[in-house]
Amino acid sequence: MKLAQLLALPATLISAVLAIPEYSEHLHLRPLPNGYLYAGFNFTASTSLSAYESQHFRYFPRSLGQILQHSDTRELHLRFALGRWDDESWGSRPRDGKREGGTGVEIWSWLDSGGGKPAVEERWSSLVNSLSGLFCASLNFIDGTKTTRPVLSFEPEGTHRGGGNGMELLHGTLPHEVVCTENLTPFLKLLPCKGKAGISSLLDGHKVFDANWQTMSIDVRPICGLGGDCRLEIQQTVDIVLDIKRSMRPRNDPIPRPRPVEELECDESKSYHASDTCYPKRKEGEMAWSLSKIFGTPVRGSCHVADGDESHDISLEVSPDRAVEVSHGGSNDTLASHEQNQLVRTMRLPDSARQHTDISLPQHIFQDSPHQNRPTLYASRQITGCGQERGGMHTVLHNPHTHQQRIVYLESLPWFLRPYMHTLKVLTHPTNSHDRPTIPLKPDQMYYTPALDRKRGTHLELLLTIPAQSTVELTYDFDKAILRYTEYPPDANRGFDVAPAIIRVLPSTHNTHNTSTAGNEIGQDSYFRTTSLLLPLPTPDFSMPYNVIILTSTVIALGFGSIFNLLVRRFVLAEEVPRSAVAVRVAGVLGKVRGVVGSLKGRLRGGGQGRGGGGVAVGVNGVAAEGDGGMNGVSSVVESRKER
Amino acid sequence: MDPIPTDDGGGVPGVEGLGLRGSGNTKPTPPTESPRTLLTRRTIVLSFWTIVLCLGLPHWLWTTSTYRASLPLSTMNDWAEGKACDLRFAFPIHLRVLGWTREEMVDLGGNLSVLLGHDGSDGLLDFTFHVGNAVEEPPLPAHRDPALTVVLNAADLPDTYEVASRLEPGESTLRLGSGMSQAGEILDQIRKITAPQQEALAYLLSGTPFAATEHEALQMTRNMRSEASLDARNTRAFKPSTTYHLSFSLFVSGNEPSAWAIEDALAAYVTPLLSALSGVSKFTVTTQVQLHASFSPSIAGPTFDEASREWKLRKEDLSGFVNAAEWPLSPSIGEGSTINFVLYVPAPGHSPLVVADTGGTGWLVPQWGGVAILNLDGPTTQPKPAIDTDLATLTITDLDEIILTFADQLTALIGLPSSPAGSLALRIAALQRERATALLLSTASTLGALSRLVHKLPNIPIPDTVATSVGTSLRHLDLACQDLGVGRYAKTDTNLGALGNAQAASEASEKAFFEPSMVGQVYFPDEHKVAVYVPLLGPMGVPLVLAGVKELLGLYRGMREKVKGT
Repeated sequence: MKLAQLLALPATLISAVLAIPEYSEHLHLRPLPNGYLYAGFNFTASTSLSAYESQHFRYFPRSLGQILQHSDTRELHLRFALGRWDDESWGSRPRDGKREGGTGVEIWSWLDSGGGKPAVEERWSSLVNSLSGLFCASLNFIDGTKTTRPVLSFEPEGTHRGGGNGMELLHGTLPHEVVCTENLTPFLKLLPCKGKAGISSLLDGHKVFDANWQTMSIDVRPICGLGGDCRLEIQQTVDIVLDIKRSMRPRNDPIPRPRPVEELECDESKSYHASDTCYPKRKEGEMAWSLSKIFGTPVRGSCHVADGDESHDISLEVSPDRAVEVSHGGSNDTLASHEQNQLVRTMRLPDSARQHTDISLPQHIFQDSPHQNRPTLYASRQITGCGQERGGMHTVLHNPHTHQQRIVYLESLPWFLRPYMHTLKVLTHPTNSHDRPTIPLKPDQMYYTPALDRKRGTHLELLLTIPAQSTVELTYDFDKAILRYTEYPPDANRGFDVAPAIIRVLPSTHNTHNTSTAGNEIGQDSYFRTTSLLLPLPTPDFSMPYNVIILTSTVIALGFGSIFNLLVRRFVLAEEVPRSAVAVRVAGVLGKVRGVVGSLKGRLRGGGQGRGGGGVAVGVNGVAAEGDGGMNGVSSVVESRKER
Repeated sequence: MDPIPTDDGGGVPGVEGLGLRGSGNTKPTPPTESPRTLLTRRTIVLSFWTIVLCLGLPHWLWTTSTYRASLPLSTMNDWAEGKACDLRFAFPIHLRVLGWTREEMVDLGGNLSVLLGHDGSDGLLDFTFHVGNAVEEPPLPAHRDPALTVVLNAADLPDTYEVASRLEPGESTLRLGSGMSQAGEILDQIRKITAPQQEALAYLLSGTPFAATEHEALQMTRNMRSEASLDARNTRAFKPSTTYHLSFSLFVSGNEPSAWAIEDALAAYVTPLLSALSGVSKFTVTTQVQLHASFSPSIAGPTFDEASREWKLRKEDLSGFVNAAEWPLSPSIGEGSTINFVLYVPAPGHSPLVVADTGGTGWLVPQWGGVAILNLDGPTTQPKPAIDTDLATLTITDLDEIILTFADQLTALIGLPSSPAGSLALRIAALQRERATALLLSTASTLGALSRLVHKLPNIPIPDTVATSVGTSLRHLDLACQDLGVGRYAKTDTNLGALGNAQAASEASEKAFFEPSMVGQVYFPDEHKVAVYVPLLGPMGVPLVLAGVKELLGLYRGMREKVKGT
């Protein structure tokens, strides 16, 4: 009996590999503590490599396929992300963090390395520029300064001919990019059902980008079966964490408003609780929710295509004692737990294109708080220091497990942040005893590519072993560069974004302690990304160039004027200054005017006084007439009269 | 009085001076300067001015000027004005008479030439006749294929030609029956075949500067009726390009059929055409399937006609039928234009879908591509429980008619002439000639525009790459002009031919015209210049100028006094 099963195993494996469905889609729902809901959408399409090479596309998107062919891309990973995953309360990350990106846009891809470095750079630039157009993102700004070539952090996910030789990995980030609806629309266009049927009909920009944490990913990789037939697979995922209450706010009143005091739920056990003070009550359990209320629409129809996946479309991970209702069109059903795994309930959407499907759960009070997987690692990263000249980077990695972990820590820093590697310190101490002295930790391996101004950013990669239940602190100092006048963005005082650090946790050899679930396979890497940082740089006064021009011009003019005048000017006694014809004329006119004014005054007063004032004005003009430079006031009446 | 006058005291001596003047004419005058000091001062001023004019000014001009590579402007203008090339289209004809001796054939050739020479009615095409003997290939100059081979069956061989004249579909051969052994008749036949070509070339040339040199020939071949049809052909066709990307898309309103036997259908109907056209352009082919394709909201959508039990699409809606906002019909990457062919399969409930008035199911969108609607027959109103494989895939029998229509539309979209109807080879040769001419004309006008632009905008920088591109373009234009004159149209291994040269010239001229560093020319507004120059040049310039003027005045006065003194 057992022998038969053993013999059958490889056969089923082969058939499983051969019968890769050309398209499958899947939605995974999991309520998180404190009233959050995780929704993970996964769309996988594939095409045979021969059809891809001859440009016959079916479920694989043509627009993306052509870009990949044009830029000789072997494997592509593209991420759009927003928000922060709350490790402390939400537990471990979905899909082991493999389909997650750092804030903004992140892209890494293996390109054909034929033709040497310039050819690869040409391909990379063509790839990012084309993707920029396809996804309406600023990917075209990924140039040499934002591109790194990591060594340890990434491994190809696909099966490549020649074992991965002849291809090169390039990695670029855009932490400043704001991901929004204009990126989701082209993303949905790549799907066979285009957000019109099946689970993709739930993806609406208003909800997806209202989430607390959101990441979109596109992964293209070749996969080869045992028989040698290769397929190119595109996996698109959207992972979001929604605040249930916020998403369910009514459509007709979408603006969040403060609630009246009577409606607040306060923790009355607090000593300071009064009619005007309220400590919010910790949420117990979960409010009632349904797909149509959270996403604003039920699932419209289904996206079951020919040669597609025949298994379930939606899976829901809730405790076995919760009632889950499913409504197809008009009929209601309860969704029972899966036979093997009591925690998971699965369902398949009806084939009809017209029927709407909705899942609703009633309110639920937890008996005990639902167990969350502990993340493999906690990581946080900050910029320290003050002033506009220098700063420091400070990363804290905390291993909560009772076994040591090997990690790869990758940082790609912009060129205007200049780290000093001699100040790099890696210190470790046990987590729960802060008074114990810290011990320096030696990185197992280190890859460092220093930055070149305006050409290349810093690439720092460390292979570390984090001891069990301890915290590692990684610090180094850096200088802030002063940019050129034109290199500042319009909002220069906002600061400059620094890409998140990427942490790859290598498969652990101590799996006994690993509380792994079905999705977390043993021997798999997992990834973390810290939050992105904001680096304030010294910003100049932007009227500076004109000030500088005027100041230097004035100094030059002063110097030039005085030297020139000293050389050219003739010095005479003040009383010897000849009266210029212009001055005499002006004085005459002025004198007449004064005479008229004086006579008018005299008539008004009825007296003939106040004459003789005109003479003073003539004298003043007599001196001013000499002036042709800036320096005449003083120099023209110097005493020296050597010529006499 | 204060012995050291201060600045504000400057006015006080003036008052004093007035007092002096007022009391009498005893104002002291400064002592006369010695000629040496005068000379020294003048030398100083002169040397300052020398430095400013000889060193400062050239330096300033040099640093603020833009780099302008020298362009062969006169040659460019010659091309734009049509003076650089006398457009002649050589049309070598190979004459072969079955059953005649060589001498007789030479005689016939001579007769034909004489006939042509007398009435001079060869229009834009220069016919030349070459005779060979019945079996051998004609002794043509190297690299020159006959534009037309005329085979006259004079021997009255019993086998072949019942019809008087016949064109071979695959080659440029005209076969004539024995009834047409007279030179006049042969010439008439040749003229009949080449008339559409003459008209098309005349149409291209009309209105261009090149038309001036061809005036008589143009007048002769212009024809109102054909001009309208050529107009229509020209608006339909894409502009000449070295590469065309063909994109065949299946749009389905539901989610089935989701596959089509497009590879087989293309191999059967499109690939042979593309290989025949490979001498004109390169073609790439991509196909895609798109499910859940909905109509654009801007069109009214089809309405059900009870009488014919058909869904009718109004004619006004045809232009908005392709939902550009939602259907992923993005152009292909790389140089060249994308020609789209869209096959739309309506939902079973909306089938059959036809165009109102005509009842047709396909149409051509000028300079964009072709659209066809495929109505799957059979009552498919009841919902299917599972996906039916028969319905999920369109077979080659479903597709053959549509792909044939697409192939026909493709010939119209790339501007293949429709006549002479009998021979594809002659049509393609005609297209090559027209393409080469059109590209040559457009290149000439691009170069003219560039020359005018350079002339009009003196601030525009011209990098060396532009000069190189212009040089390349002119060289290829010359070659193309020569190739046209000797009848070397198609591309060979050793020679680009007229078409290849015209394409190269066109590419180079476009590259020169759209040079990015020229497009974004440096622009400094006048306010900026004032803000930068006035603080520096004002305080320095005023003393210099005034000192100069003063010295010049002094010099002038001195000279006048000298004249008075003598």
